[in-house]
Amino acid sequence: MAEKLEDLNLPLTVVTRIVKETLPEGVAISKEARTGLAKAASVFVLYVTSAATNIVKNNKRKALTGQDVLEAMTDIEFDRFVEPLREALENYKQVTSAKKLATGKKKDDSDDIEMVDDDQ
Amino acid sequence: MSTPKPEKELHLPLSRVKTIMKSSPDVDAVGPEPLYLVTKVTELFVTDLAKRAYKSNKTNLLEYKHIAEVVQEDDTLDFLREIMPRKITVRQFKELMAKKAAKGNESDETSEESSEEDSSDESSSSSNPDSQHS
Repeated sequence: MAEKLEDLNLPLTVVTRIVKETLPEGVAISKEARTGLAKAASVFVLYVTSAATNIVKNNKRKALTGQDVLEAMTDIEFDRFVEPLREALENYKQVTSAKKLATGKKKDDSDDIEMVDDDQ
Repeated sequence: MSTPKPEKELHLPLSRVKTIMKSSPDVDAVGPEPLYLVTKVTELFVTDLAKRAYKSNKTNLLEYKHIAEVVQEDDTLDFLREIMPRKITVRQFKELMAKKAAKGNESDETSEESSEEDSSDESSSSSNPDSQHS
């Protein structure tokens, strides 16, 4: 999947757009600052992933869950993200379960597994 | 169809986040739920970092040095320090090297002195039997 090295970086344009939305209007971001933020975000993905997989390993489980990602936040001392993330997880679960009800028939578990397999 | 997909609120491409996560040797498969959360928290993280960097800044331009400053000051951002070092000017660099060289010379001298003492002590005790043999 990751044939090119660029594939391991988050797209600069998207990161810039997110940042621009949160800063006051009219603030410019230098080229170097943009690449720096995109790089930082990419490294953060790996940082969180390894913290979460550590939890999985310590519990002698195999699959990574949303709860692991939540707990990882405390481990890496990003407690301030726990609350917004918990809300996001609740919302996510509600919407996906509603979606499952709507599509019906499919068993809860098989739905998840299918999505994982598709992307491999 | 009435409920909007939570993925739609995200800006970052899930597929790219997944690729990055899978580049970690411990990760085989990434389910949709952890993928969603990692993407979400990465967006929180990058906006948080940008906001804090901009706070320390009075102009209308966010620059690399503002971000590097936050990274160097916050210990929870230690994981970024290698990729976001403080940048210094050539003059600052030369001054730094000059200081280092001065310090290096001092410590070199002292260590040379002590090693000479050591070796002379040793040679006086150990070289004598050798010279007797020859």
